[in-house]
Amino acid sequence: MQAIEVQDLRKTFRIQQSRGGLKGALQDLFAREYHEVAAVNDISFTIPQGEICGYIGENGAGKSTTIKMLTGILVPTSGHIQVNGYVPYQEREKFVQGIGVVFGQRSQLWWDIGVIESFQLLRKVYQVSEADYKKRLDELVERLQLQELLSRPVRKLSLGQRMRCELVAALLHNPSIVFLDEPTIGLDIVVKSEIREFLKDLNRTQGTTILLTTHDLQDIEALCSRVIMLDAGSIIYDGGLNELKTRWGRGRELRFQFGGAVKAEQLNGWTMGLPVTWTQESDLVATALVPADMAVSDVFSRILSQAEVTDVQISETSTDEIVRQIYSSGSAEKPEVKLHV
Amino acid sequence: MFYLGLIWEYFTNYVKTRLTYRADFWVEVISDLLFQATNLIFIFVVFAHTETLGGFTEAEVVFVYGYFMVPYGLYSCFINLWNFGDRYIVKGEMDRILTRPAHSLFQIFLENLDPPSLIGSVIGIIIMIWSGGQLGLEMEWWYIPALIIMTIGSTLIYAGIYIILTSVSFYSDSPTGIIPLMVNIQTYGRYPITIYNRAIQIILTWVLPFAFVGIYPAALFLQREEMMAMAWLTPVMGLLFFSVSLLLWNSGVKRYRGAGS
Repeated sequence: MQAIEVQDLRKTFRIQQSRGGLKGALQDLFAREYHEVAAVNDISFTIPQGEICGYIGENGAGKSTTIKMLTGILVPTSGHIQVNGYVPYQEREKFVQGIGVVFGQRSQLWWDIGVIESFQLLRKVYQVSEADYKKRLDELVERLQLQELLSRPVRKLSLGQRMRCELVAALLHNPSIVFLDEPTIGLDIVVKSEIREFLKDLNRTQGTTILLTTHDLQDIEALCSRVIMLDAGSIIYDGGLNELKTRWGRGRELRFQFGGAVKAEQLNGWTMGLPVTWTQESDLVATALVPADMAVSDVFSRILSQAEVTDVQISETSTDEIVRQIYSSGSAEKPEVKLHV
Repeated sequence: MFYLGLIWEYFTNYVKTRLTYRADFWVEVISDLLFQATNLIFIFVVFAHTETLGGFTEAEVVFVYGYFMVPYGLYSCFINLWNFGDRYIVKGEMDRILTRPAHSLFQIFLENLDPPSLIGSVIGIIIMIWSGGQLGLEMEWWYIPALIIMTIGSTLIYAGIYIILTSVSFYSDSPTGIIPLMVNIQTYGRYPITIYNRAIQIILTWVLPFAFVGIYPAALFLQREEMMAMAWLTPVMGLLFFSVSLLLWNSGVKRYRGAGS
């Protein structure tokens, strides 16, 4: 069964158009002008049970709006959604019983009372039996090492501690699908990696389907087998992370530092016949771009036999780099490779 | 049953948080009571100048006021929508409410429980007993079930009116200034309705039925024949207004737009 099915989903918001100046303000008072903005524009995708899917895109691309429709908070303008066998906004109360939600920027916990009391309250709200609750809580507390935090009021927790408690709060009722909206925002590296490990475990041991939005691509690299990329309300990429890398990755870069001045013609001459592109920073420093399907050693052997090299660095195009390029071009179609020497 | 259990859970949590701020608790109770006391003093001042008001004596008007305090206390305790627009719509806390398996309106009531208001209800009953004694009213067995039914009816009317007004924030993007106006109008229902002109009487009975949270149901206990029929309409109006408000709320929630994040 599919955990999430979305077909031609669309959400438009009516935004009031303010006219400038005093005259405009007075006009607005009587006759307002509205225009429609499609925050999510006819998107379709399905997520099978047990998958961890990353949902990425620039700010304002429509990620949060989609998550809010999938969790039953917002009613879509048009299109079809089915999550966990329910249409989220129709049978909201029954539907939310089976999902867990973590909003990185919003707390599920009560500010003034101890963490454990918040959990107790949630147990009642979700009608979890005492036995199930105890078992589940013990597991989660053990796993996330929250023992000392349980009696503290939420307002006295650090962000990292709070986020771990938020995860527990969202999982107490053992949901089969978990939505995380920027779960690692503002956290330090240690907590981030703890949370990633935890989510991975959760997925592996319980088969929980996870959909997360994030701006931190390391979350995606660590967790997701699949990425959906959104731009201006439309899906521009849906597929594996590795495919994205091979499709977009420009191969490896070799950065050479030479012992003596070299000229561009010399560089091109040395790699004659090889599909290598050179970029020169100065007389002494130049970078060769080597396509993914070519062995780096070929370039090395040519250069080392011709010139005096004092230092070499090899680097691969990072996911960050790739995604930045996609965001700025607004399309996941691979651009034509520009040659520049 | 599930919802009753939740009321208890939220109540105990309220107590736990509040016990840490004990002084605050008493300040709230005392300022509430002072506010009610000034209203009572106003009644006494009026009756220093006149014998009757719209055919009601001083003790009767005080009795009506005592009755009013009972549903008002319940309303203030359980149905607190003051900060709804600000906290739940503008700050987007409605998101959290909507991801939990209980009715959204009910959750909001629970999160804003204000048990100290119930002290007002208790004082209202004391005022009724005291002024009833002055009037020489005989306590009859049906007073107690009737008081419960009337109180529920009145509380539902209050709830209905304010839920309807609050639901407007789902439809219009700017918070409305209607609520302070309402707070003013609601005081009208505590005085004999016969002192107002016809138009205001109709408004207070059928449009903003604040007369059902005061004079009409209280007239039942004062055994005022002329308002008996209206008194028994109280639970009917209560159910009607509350049902309408729920419908409006439920369709309003579907229009919730969330706050950007």
